[in-house]
Amino acid sequence: MPKIFIDGKEIEFKQGQTIIEAAKDAGIDIPHFCWHPSLSVSGNCRICLVEVEKMPKLVIACSTIAAEGMVVYTQSQKTLAARNAVMEFLLINHPLDCPICDEAGECKLQDYAYEHSIGESRFVEEKVKKEKRVPLGPRVMFDGERCISCSRCIRFCDEIAKDPELTFVQRGDRVTITTYPGEVMDNPYSMNVVDICPVGALTNTDFRFKARVWEMSATKSICNGCARGCNIDIWVRNNEILRLTPRHNESVNSYWMCDHGRLNTFKFVNDSSRIDSPHIRKEGQLVKVGWDEAFAEASSRLKSFSKDEIAVIGSAFATCEDNYLVARFAKSVLGTGHLDFIHHNDPSFEDDILRRSDRTPNSLGAKLVGVRPSKNGLDFNSIIKAISERRIKALYLVEDDTIQNDPEIENILAKLDLLVVHSTNYNKTTDIADIVFPASTYAEKNGTFVNFDGMIQRIKPAVSTLEADRALEGMAMSRLDKFGTRWDRWAQGVKFDARPTWRIISGLSSVMGYKFKYNMAEEVFKDIASGITSFNHLDYDIIGEQGFKIKASVLEKEILE
Amino acid sequence: MEKILLPDIKNLHLIDVYVSNGGYNAAKKAFTQTPDDIIDQVKKSGLRGRGGAAFLCGLKWSFMPKTTDKPKYLCINGDESEPGSFKDRQIFEFNPHQMIEGAIITCYAIGAKTAYVYIRGEYHKWIKLLQKAIDDAYANGFVGEKMKETFGTNFFCDIFIHKGAGAYICGEESSLMNSLEGKRGYPRVKPPFPAQNGLWGCPTTINNVETIANVPKIIEKGWEWFSNIGHPKHPGTLLFGVSGHVNKPGVYELPTGTLLTDIIYKYAGGVPNNKKVLCVIPGGTSMPPIRGDKLEGVRMDAESLKEVGSAIGTGGVIVMDEDTDLVKVLARIAHFYHHESCGQCTPCREGTGWLEKILKRIIAGKGSVSDLDLLITVANQIEGNTICALGEAAAWPVKFMVERFRDYFEQRVSKEISLPVANKVHSMRQTAVPLADVKN
Repeated sequence: MPKIFIDGKEIEFKQGQTIIEAAKDAGIDIPHFCWHPSLSVSGNCRICLVEVEKMPKLVIACSTIAAEGMVVYTQSQKTLAARNAVMEFLLINHPLDCPICDEAGECKLQDYAYEHSIGESRFVEEKVKKEKRVPLGPRVMFDGERCISCSRCIRFCDEIAKDPELTFVQRGDRVTITTYPGEVMDNPYSMNVVDICPVGALTNTDFRFKARVWEMSATKSICNGCARGCNIDIWVRNNEILRLTPRHNESVNSYWMCDHGRLNTFKFVNDSSRIDSPHIRKEGQLVKVGWDEAFAEASSRLKSFSKDEIAVIGSAFATCEDNYLVARFAKSVLGTGHLDFIHHNDPSFEDDILRRSDRTPNSLGAKLVGVRPSKNGLDFNSIIKAISERRIKALYLVEDDTIQNDPEIENILAKLDLLVVHSTNYNKTTDIADIVFPASTYAEKNGTFVNFDGMIQRIKPAVSTLEADRALEGMAMSRLDKFGTRWDRWAQGVKFDARPTWRIISGLSSVMGYKFKYNMAEEVFKDIASGITSFNHLDYDIIGEQGFKIKASVLEKEILE
Repeated sequence: MEKILLPDIKNLHLIDVYVSNGGYNAAKKAFTQTPDDIIDQVKKSGLRGRGGAAFLCGLKWSFMPKTTDKPKYLCINGDESEPGSFKDRQIFEFNPHQMIEGAIITCYAIGAKTAYVYIRGEYHKWIKLLQKAIDDAYANGFVGEKMKETFGTNFFCDIFIHKGAGAYICGEESSLMNSLEGKRGYPRVKPPFPAQNGLWGCPTTINNVETIANVPKIIEKGWEWFSNIGHPKHPGTLLFGVSGHVNKPGVYELPTGTLLTDIIYKYAGGVPNNKKVLCVIPGGTSMPPIRGDKLEGVRMDAESLKEVGSAIGTGGVIVMDEDTDLVKVLARIAHFYHHESCGQCTPCREGTGWLEKILKRIIAGKGSVSDLDLLITVANQIEGNTICALGEAAAWPVKFMVERFRDYFEQRVSKEISLPVANKVHSMRQTAVPLADVKN
């Protein structure tokens, strides 16, 4: 492979790579604002100017193609002078309002000002005034004065969202960004511009002014909005999720996620409709009870039905670990083969960027770990039919709202003698349930999802429940979590009494005389890995932060079985 | 001396007059030769670009790929946006056919089928004049498909005028191409250069109007003839647009290497009231100025001006007499580049405004000696760090004016400005509350 020298270090590069790309692959970070690995090169910020031997002027590392034997200096006097110059220029008209800026703490301009700036400005003139608080669209707010005109947002709309909505207008230091006449920036991916904006010029209307970045913990997880399984970070303060941001995974979602996933998939976690502790219906009302009482009640009532009268419905919203125990619970504890999960398909949601018509994060996983009818068992539609015909009298339903999904089912489910439900929030199905177990949300547990493409990915707890403590569980912690005292406001966030579905099943089974010896989700996964071909030889560490893709041939064989 | 571009022939802009004076014979001659022969002759003639950079024309043509499956284009730059420059419009008005003929020959040489003439929108009158000339050339079979018949060749090409919308930056070749494509006038990052990736991504050659107008004469009279005119390393004549404090401002066609003092005193009639010259900008406002006491012996060609620390630019000579307020001149120049900076890249976008603000503050009597150093360092921070040459265009006049007239500028600023607060501007505001009045 051809080689270039960066600051005396010999590094290999692939033909056609630019200096900045070659450096990045070798772990050398050349400062950049406008350059983004997934966008075209615009070369306008000039912070990546570097000295290259035999070139008369400094060149920008983002657009200069690496050539064999090229000698690049990223720390030479000339390079540093140019970098300082660019930093000084960028800051002269910048409002320097970091104390009230949402971006502070994750701002490239702020970071570089510390890293590459001389620390004082010689600028004593009046700054340029521009428009502030301009809604570019329903979900993104623009501050013209903070903008450094890097054009990342413009290029994102053109190249990734494929919906050109933004443009520069005016000239010189009056340049600003606006939407084309008659356009608003409302493409389904619009909020990604907030992430790629290197400064605080573009802010998320749902999140702005909610928290300082350093007050929140970030936990690597997976979006549950559709079967793509975009990699995300969950940002939590005071045990409350405040925002989601996409996390880079080139083979799943690159740097992006859709606005729907970002906005509509986390608010239920801290919602007032969360179910806190188990409930049993007594005299028509759901009444809060302890876990032991709920287990005992569920156990005794389930035992009153013959095996063939019970059906179990797993969930494509739950993890593989959850579903694996649901399947084993159905087959080994209840002894029924009437087992399935509900598909949530919405073709209108799908596009050719990220969004999939399957609106659940784990339907492939649920299927793979065994949530499907046994040989003579009933599938979902047949179960519903059997309930209406009173052949099925007890239904064990996990993490899904059947009635919300299909209102006509309400009358059918009313015919059941027993409806046991695991649910995170109150919904139309819990309204008629006899026993309700409070389930932890995807943001409160460990586990795995398998996306439409066979990519196994991990979720981790970001919010603590009564049973899961931040420090003890090794959850991501913010400065406040670490250094706050228990008298601080942020230590007083609400913790719900909820458990992951696999743990609820395990507890109930134990009362019913069947012992699953799992203490952690990871142990459940170990059994999945040894029992199911698609997961063979895997563990949480191998899946890691970027996921593990099941071979298409293995997957195909297993699904056909 | 023979004039190449603006000969003293009455009504030469009319096609009949042009033809009766041997017009379009050069094109006829060109079509008997191969394109490579034409490029070779232009190379040997030593013709250098007249748009400012004085790049060797034939060499530029030779960068065009010989084999490509894409169309090739010729782009003729008539944006003429450099302040102090007003020569191309003389060609449009008085000798448009020579440029058209040059365009045809150039198209043939580089293998282009289409030539665009990009003219600034403010040149409405000259756009009409050139359009009339192009229409006449079409009607007489010198341009378009009929060329085949007229010249007995298989080659033909078209010429279109594209009107600019009033941006200095669109005189920069890559923003000119973007503008022509209907995009925002932003310069492109180079490389790739126009010969590889020009208009609509196709191989393109961009030449100045005056450059192209020279081509027919080189073909007609031979490269040796041309190369013997003026300075050997920058041969030919130049259209010097002389303006400012001279008795006879105007466009003078003179051989390269003419003495600057001759241009001012012999041709432009000297300075009104015999005042002394304080400063001369030799090639449009972006070129480094020359002190009035250093004019003796300065010759006007690319090589000689380089020796005295300036450049030929577009040959727009701006003369300033001893009563000129150079600070105001420089502030006005800085204002222009601030106003015209496209705003794409950081140093120029932010730096040009800063320069203007400092100069305006000096004019307002709030400047100090340290501001002169600040001007020079800010200019240095712009220079060389930008996408296009506007960075240099904005930085050079400030840097060199302050450096070369340091004594003059020092008289216009105080040794030290003591202002009640660190931020000088805040202290200048009428509304600012005096610090003494602020009670704890």
